[in-house]
Amino acid sequence: MAAPRKLSMKQRYAALTRDLDWDLSYVDEDTAYPYTSFEGIKIHDWSKWEDPFRLTIDAYMKYQAEKDKRLYAVLDSFAQGQGHLQLTDPSYLNAMKLFLQGVTPLEYQAHRNFAYLARFLNGPGPRFAALCQSQDELRHAQTEIHTLSNYNKYYQGFHSWNHQHDRVWYLSVPKSYFDDAVTAGPFEFLIAIGFSFEYLLTNLLFVPFMSGASFNGDLPTMTFGFSAQSDESRHMTLGLEAIKFMLEQDPDNVPIVQAWIDKWFWRGYRLLALVSQMLDYMLPRKVMSWKEAFELYFEEQMLGGLFPDLAYYGITPPRHVEHAIAEKEVLSHQVYWTLYQFSFAAGFTTTVPSEDAQKWLAEQYPQTFEKLYKPLWDKASAVVDNGGRYFYQGLPQLCQVCQVPMLFTEPGDPTTICQRHTEFEGERYDFCSDGCQWIFEREPEKYVQAWLPVHQIYQGNCGGPTVPDVLAWYKLQPGDNGEIAGNVEQTAWEAWHATSSAEEQAPAPVAGN
Amino acid sequence: MAVRSIGEYKFPSRSRQELYGDDQLVHLWWKGNLWFCAAACFRAPKAMSWNDFVAGMVNPLFSCDPDFDAATTTFTWTVDDKPVSPAGDESLEALGVGHKSLITCVAA
Amino acid sequence: MTQSTRARQVGVDIQETEENRAVVEAIEADNADCAVRHMPGLVRITSPTRIVVNRESVEQRLGREWETHEFQLAIVSYFGHIAEWDDDQILIQWDH
Repeated sequence: MAAPRKLSMKQRYAALTRDLDWDLSYVDEDTAYPYTSFEGIKIHDWSKWEDPFRLTIDAYMKYQAEKDKRLYAVLDSFAQGQGHLQLTDPSYLNAMKLFLQGVTPLEYQAHRNFAYLARFLNGPGPRFAALCQSQDELRHAQTEIHTLSNYNKYYQGFHSWNHQHDRVWYLSVPKSYFDDAVTAGPFEFLIAIGFSFEYLLTNLLFVPFMSGASFNGDLPTMTFGFSAQSDESRHMTLGLEAIKFMLEQDPDNVPIVQAWIDKWFWRGYRLLALVSQMLDYMLPRKVMSWKEAFELYFEEQMLGGLFPDLAYYGITPPRHVEHAIAEKEVLSHQVYWTLYQFSFAAGFTTTVPSEDAQKWLAEQYPQTFEKLYKPLWDKASAVVDNGGRYFYQGLPQLCQVCQVPMLFTEPGDPTTICQRHTEFEGERYDFCSDGCQWIFEREPEKYVQAWLPVHQIYQGNCGGPTVPDVLAWYKLQPGDNGEIAGNVEQTAWEAWHATSSAEEQAPAPVAGN
Repeated sequence: MAVRSIGEYKFPSRSRQELYGDDQLVHLWWKGNLWFCAAACFRAPKAMSWNDFVAGMVNPLFSCDPDFDAATTTFTWTVDDKPVSPAGDESLEALGVGHKSLITCVAA
Repeated sequence: MTQSTRARQVGVDIQETEENRAVVEAIEADNADCAVRHMPGLVRITSPTRIVVNRESVEQRLGREWETHEFQLAIVSYFGHIAEWDDDQILIQWDH
């Protein structure tokens, strides 16, 4: 019999991904892979790692190239077809600015750490999966930058996102989250990013975000979002395989993994506070409320589907999850109310929600919006009617762990801000929630080092003592920040749409880009 | 529980009091007033008098609330949950305000 | 918790494109208990049991050869566990 001409997927995977590995003879395993023991995770057989995608390098390259081709075709037609005029409203781009400043640098960080895993995990299966993810994350960072650069020709606020990621107060939230993950060991990183972020929470970020782009006339973002998300399914699989692998290898791994799930659920959930307001407030045309997204993507899929599966191994739903569920009624309102007051120092703009938007919010949040938040917006509107604009005259208290201003309220009492603190080595530390306090008390040595933007400003490390000094150090330009109404972006938009002359539709000069 | 690490893991706090010289960080919270999304954080001299704190920090912040009137709005105060009755020239330190203390007020 | 009272759904989100219409139709045909919801830009398929994607069903509707790897271009997200992914079939269900 002649040999079969083509190997099956299983055979190809075994041949190309596993069989190319070899046993080291010149050093022992611990010398070659020095970082897979200090966390206490016990692995007895690395060959038990499964990759359901059965991915091989040739298939990986072929399909990634195809994804890029499709994306760049869309980018070309966007640029050729004056796509920037098709948005529902220029204020939509606030969500994209937040994404570019907050998320894109995390993609790059993920690229770096998965590259490290691709070198330092003992088994060839997980090393190859990490290598693919490392390349994916680099692709995501590049395609996000490239896609959104098309808007930089016409709109404010896209010029210094990378610089701002390292400096601006609300961006310390995503930055410190990822710094926490990449400074952990390889197994904790897999639970933090591979499992908790990619599997547990990523749908809450990406799917509503892409649907938001689709709904608001932003074709290129929708396309890069889908392009990235098609990789994301593979990343979710890696995360799920990672946790199952650890749990199956040794029963001693279970409590360690559980503590990481507890920690990283809450860390990720607090990070998503920024997404909650994006869905409910920043999108001019709404897709779904944060509450609905949370119920659909987290409560139904994860608490209803995933955790019963993990119960087999003795894993329980994350600690403090009940607080997250209770908060779904109030979260987005509290966060946007905060951004409204502090947008003088942000790389995006805010405004009082329109009458229609408030009506939608009241429908989505019948128990809370009209009772608790509409009165605040009415009062803020009255300030505007009197010729003013409410901005907070000061700097906020920050949570030592999540670094979000301490805006969250007591569980069960949406009118009282939650204040928690603890003492460590004679110093007081403040937290927004039981979840963040618990995380601190597990590893206080880690979080005492937090670079809290407010404290750094007061130490004189952020350009100078006055607000203009700090904004200059943030590289904020006029029009990047503050109020939407009357902003240069809004006036340029109105001018573009008021005229049909091709000449007048040329890009408006944007300061300093 | 200590951090599991590949070597010694010991770093100083990045917000420790000595980084602020004779000053300290002070938090101010108008409890029950959601107009302010969060408590404020100030850098204030330990020796600052209560009057100076009110005139220089409390009133400028609270004045963002159109319903606030420095002349008529009165408060009861606590420092780190302990009730206090601050007098005019008493220093923050004498009132029991330490680094990162929480000064809370409730409108009477 | 809520999970004890609910069917344990699995699901897959697929990008809404011309080619993927054949994939969605194939899934609908081969999974009698699935539900399909159209959202901006994507199609969300859920099932209270499992979701299977058969190569032959997709090929019939596409009118050309289709390898299961191509599903990577269609999938946006999923929940459940990818229990099988070979030359002929992709199967999403919970393990335990």
